[in-house]
Amino acid sequence: MGGIVGIDVGGTFTDLFYSVDGVSAHTTLKVPSTPGDPSRGLVDALTTAKIDPPGLDLIVHGTTIATNAVIERKGARCALITTRGFRDILELGRRDRPHMYGLTGVQKPLIPRDLRWEVDERLDHHGAVVRPLDEDGLRAVAQALRGEQVEAVVIAFLHSYANSAHEERAAVIVREVEASWEVVTSSGVIREYYEFERTSTAAVQGYLQPLIARYARNLRDRLSGWGFDRQTLIMQSNGGVIPLPQLAERAAYIVRSGPAAGVIAAARLAAEAGFDKVITGDMGGTSYDVAVVVDGAPIIAETTNLDFRVPLRLPMIDVNTIGAGGGSIAGLDRAGILHVGPRSAGAVPGPACYGQGGTEPTVTDANVVLGRINANDPIGGKGGMALDVDAARRAVDTLAQAIGLGIEDTAEAILSVVNQNMAGRTRLLSIDSGHDPRDFALVIFGGAGPLHGAALIREVGIHTMLVPPAPGVLCAMGCVIADVRYDLSRTVERRPEDLGAETIAVILDEQRRQGEAKLHTSEARVRDVAVSHVADMAYQGQIHPLRVTIERGWSVARIVAAFHEAYRQENGNTLGDIPTTIVSLKTIVLGVRDLVRRALEIPPPCAVSAPASVRPVYFGGWVETPIHRRDALMPGMTFDGPAIVEQSDTTTVIEPGMRARVDAYGNLLVEVAK
Amino acid sequence: MTPMTMDAVTLAVLRGALEQIADEMDLHLIHAAMSPIISETNDCAHGIFHPETGETIAQGRYGLPVFLANMQFTVQNILRIAEAEGGFKPGDMWILNDPYVCGTHLQDVVLVAPHFIDGKLFAILANTGHWMDIGGGTPGGWAPKSKEIHQEGILIPPLRLYEGGRLNEQMVRMFTANVRLPTEIAGDLTAMTNVFAIGRRGIDDLVERYGAATVQTCFDELITRSERQMRSYIADIPDGTYCCEDWFDNDGITDAPMRIALALTVEGDSLHFDFTGTAPQAVGTINLARTTTQSSCFVALKHIFAEVPVNGGAFRPTRFTIPDGSLIAVEYPGPVGGYLEVVGKVTDVVFRALAQAIPDRTPAPSFGTTGVVTIGGRHPDTGRYYVGVFPYPGGYGASYETDGLVHGTSPQSMANFMSIEMSEHRYPLRFDYFALREDSGGAGWHRGGCGSEYGFTMLADAVTTVVGDRVDHPPPGILGGGHAAPNFVRLRTGGQEWKPEMGSKLERESLGAGDGIRAASPGGGGFGDPLTRDLAEVERDLNLGYVSRPTAEIAYGAVIAEETALLDRKLYRLDVAASLARRQSLKTKGTA
Repeated sequence: MGGIVGIDVGGTFTDLFYSVDGVSAHTTLKVPSTPGDPSRGLVDALTTAKIDPPGLDLIVHGTTIATNAVIERKGARCALITTRGFRDILELGRRDRPHMYGLTGVQKPLIPRDLRWEVDERLDHHGAVVRPLDEDGLRAVAQALRGEQVEAVVIAFLHSYANSAHEERAAVIVREVEASWEVVTSSGVIREYYEFERTSTAAVQGYLQPLIARYARNLRDRLSGWGFDRQTLIMQSNGGVIPLPQLAERAAYIVRSGPAAGVIAAARLAAEAGFDKVITGDMGGTSYDVAVVVDGAPIIAETTNLDFRVPLRLPMIDVNTIGAGGGSIAGLDRAGILHVGPRSAGAVPGPACYGQGGTEPTVTDANVVLGRINANDPIGGKGGMALDVDAARRAVDTLAQAIGLGIEDTAEAILSVVNQNMAGRTRLLSIDSGHDPRDFALVIFGGAGPLHGAALIREVGIHTMLVPPAPGVLCAMGCVIADVRYDLSRTVERRPEDLGAETIAVILDEQRRQGEAKLHTSEARVRDVAVSHVADMAYQGQIHPLRVTIERGWSVARIVAAFHEAYRQENGNTLGDIPTTIVSLKTIVLGVRDLVRRALEIPPPCAVSAPASVRPVYFGGWVETPIHRRDALMPGMTFDGPAIVEQSDTTTVIEPGMRARVDAYGNLLVEVAK
Repeated sequence: MTPMTMDAVTLAVLRGALEQIADEMDLHLIHAAMSPIISETNDCAHGIFHPETGETIAQGRYGLPVFLANMQFTVQNILRIAEAEGGFKPGDMWILNDPYVCGTHLQDVVLVAPHFIDGKLFAILANTGHWMDIGGGTPGGWAPKSKEIHQEGILIPPLRLYEGGRLNEQMVRMFTANVRLPTEIAGDLTAMTNVFAIGRRGIDDLVERYGAATVQTCFDELITRSERQMRSYIADIPDGTYCCEDWFDNDGITDAPMRIALALTVEGDSLHFDFTGTAPQAVGTINLARTTTQSSCFVALKHIFAEVPVNGGAFRPTRFTIPDGSLIAVEYPGPVGGYLEVVGKVTDVVFRALAQAIPDRTPAPSFGTTGVVTIGGRHPDTGRYYVGVFPYPGGYGASYETDGLVHGTSPQSMANFMSIEMSEHRYPLRFDYFALREDSGGAGWHRGGCGSEYGFTMLADAVTTVVGDRVDHPPPGILGGGHAAPNFVRLRTGGQEWKPEMGSKLERESLGAGDGIRAASPGGGGFGDPLTRDLAEVERDLNLGYVSRPTAEIAYGAVIAEETALLDRKLYRLDVAASLARRQSLKTKGTA
């Protein structure tokens, strides 16, 4: 068996994780990303890692290209064709505003009003035809669009989730008029109701499809030029992968796939280490991404807002982001109270200690001032680059003078505030999903995460923090271990009694068949196929449904009971006899990849090897602190804080009063000592 | 204690912790509530209040803006009432929905509970939640023909629901016997009660960690700091008295306009809101309680100075003169069901007064009517009773920063518009169109956002109620910006289309299959002289259909060089030189 490479292309760095057994790291590294053509940075990473193409079986890859194209509005020029009377659905949204307080700001629809057209047709909510499709009118619109330099045409009719015939016929006609257009139907992207969310999702797909199609071709050619012609899989935001040839038609599924990959890896490592309830925290330069995993399954968001009034209604791992990272800037507000973030020093000028002209104090500067980051060997620095400690101290000193504290105490205050922001968000997210945050373990990663994890578990009341072996490239690792995944859904909006167990089974079987067919045509090598089903259910009258795991063949009573149990789990009570509704039926088809599943013995405890060095680190006062090299830490080794663990991709802080041990898998487990 | 060391670190951390407690109380209720209006539109609020002054220390950030300062004024009222009855005791919890004491409307039930530490009153906790039904003439409220509060539901004066930790179960039975959804209401009451445990635990943890004295000092210090922060913003506003007036179409009973007047005085670092000259309270439901009038002024301020925390200190630099018995300080037994209309208007007059002083920070008024269209009846497919509620969306006012937003939610809420497809599943109706309302935003250097318009046809018998305003008095612009298009409501019954007698207020009108409604919401007001708007923007607005050709020519002084067509759509190219000349002559005419 050959090797597997996971590559996560982020905004700043392209991360690589190379494994022979499919889970433990053989090589990990970071190279600068090449935003002009991200596939170049990807091949740079492969050559830097000195990977031999013939020895490689598989490349699995996550990318921010789709996310960036939406946020920066750099996607294709698209037209939208809707039911007559409804072309503005995409622009109106559902009555909202960008922020709770403040009334300024406008939205930028992905498809502007002059490229939105209407045709005569109308279905009712059962999918019955109220008015037939005006084919001549549609042809006239399509002809008119030929002069409008569009690359893609999105067709979104009302109630098409219930009957896709009008949309499909319209797609045929539009393609007849102009074969070069990418044509997207809303029911082809998602068969669920909520016209704004479905139309927006289809618009995102149309907006991305031409761009992603080009990217897929480019990447295939570039990899082929490097000497690799075997399979390439792409990470999706639902935590599964798809093969490169299906990438264009699934363009909307790869938005925010990098953070999803990190959660998948964190969930997997935590499960091996014996934790079934996990909060994952990924802290980088500008943001902190947090997600919740229960029994190995990340919590899924049904709708994610990519930007103001740009919802994407596809199942995505629910990754919450706040503006807290190494580059977050500290300052005083008009009340004289300390704030950290969300303003960030970004990559340029970056923290003051980078010596690129930054003068405002950042979280990274605070970590440098306190001796937590090794200024002579920082992460991401390529050999020899040292941080400017004096610049960091000067930046923190301006703030210290304003608040009347010493430089070190001010640096600690900066960390207290940013840690509190992250801890607060972490707690709210777990409460929001109906859980007590204290029942969880925290998997902390990202370049800055392990510097702050110890403070986070202390603040949140979490017992254990898990620092993976390669926390700086965890998203790349997530690519390597993810399964192939297809999500299928269909809105029914009926009472379960009215729908009946047989109809439910027929719909689920059809979804299963479609998913398996996709898996088959993908030619992805999988060991097994796993199919699971979900019913989105609500009490009649409610707006937000719950995801309820069901099985094919269940009786109606069993399904309703499962809903009541899920509702009790999330809300602490049920609403008694109020009738229930099945909003949508969903099927997940997983192609389970042939990966090593490890089950190692708990290693006997042993003493830690002598630290590589000792240096003063500030924990409420300067303390001579042992500095361990991560690669010198072997399974079973146990040691007490204060301690610092250094490795090329991150630095881990173990606070006084905490105890660390290395588990069988090389994870560092840190607990508050009893 | 050296003040600065306490300030920088402990204050920041304690403020964060207190806000976190209030946020967690919000989230716990949102999860546990029975009423979808709480669980799905966050129609609730939670706060921690000062034990002596009742001032807000922290309020949850998930609850709706309309409760912003209203919670503090309610707690302060209860503090006085409780003192008159022997003061708070450990284990007490007060309940009320009396709008003359706690503002808003009868559906918003408030609980207030003291928190004692070592036998000493340490803090006050309070929450409010919107109950789905409170009795009265119509299910769920919205009875625009009411003439007294008793037609709107049961009135709960301030009462001890718990006394010494013991629940008064008889009182609960009294409530549940008087509402249409007794099980749900009992569930909501329990959920609201349980949330206080979260608040108490959070405060106790802080006291254990930092000591009672430090936490108490922080309460005072946080209020002082917020006051300082708010004063620093007010000090930036030029001194002066800024006046404005606005009008309600009518009170839903008699078609006569009603005035609201504001003289806002900025003096150094304080504000005085003087509403003298506002009309006496209405016979109909267009009334607002004093506490919510005050709160609405703070909602407007918070929309301008969003960074100021929700804390009693921010409310200190203000003084109010509100005539007793006016429609913004309604007295018993005046009905309050249309209070959201008044809230919107108070927000608008505050914006327009401040716009005279700080035009670069103040948006023009938004669509300004928070009314709703409701449809109710028995669904022919299921035989079950349904109520469909369509809250009004509309355009936002333009600002120095941007054009106005299209189709915004009301500034005091965050609730969304229904999905059309979902509505057609649930109610026997079919939408005919749902569109951006062209030409509805006020003209200006920055243009007001467009409102929206929709029409639907009933497929079965139903009853409709409409509560709105701004038909006769559209949202004004500021700094020379034009007003937006007025509100528009038409009913179609028996093939005839007609305008409601009260403009946009209508109670329990019967509709049959084939009958329908058309509604079009106002846009937002314009900002600045439209003759100074970038001509490229005017051309873009024309081609996007945001403004009509006559508006472009008359309001914006545009001259069309070329008009072409793409199918049924017109495309325009402006003649820049001729447009500039026309603008010059319009300006001269304007000054002549």
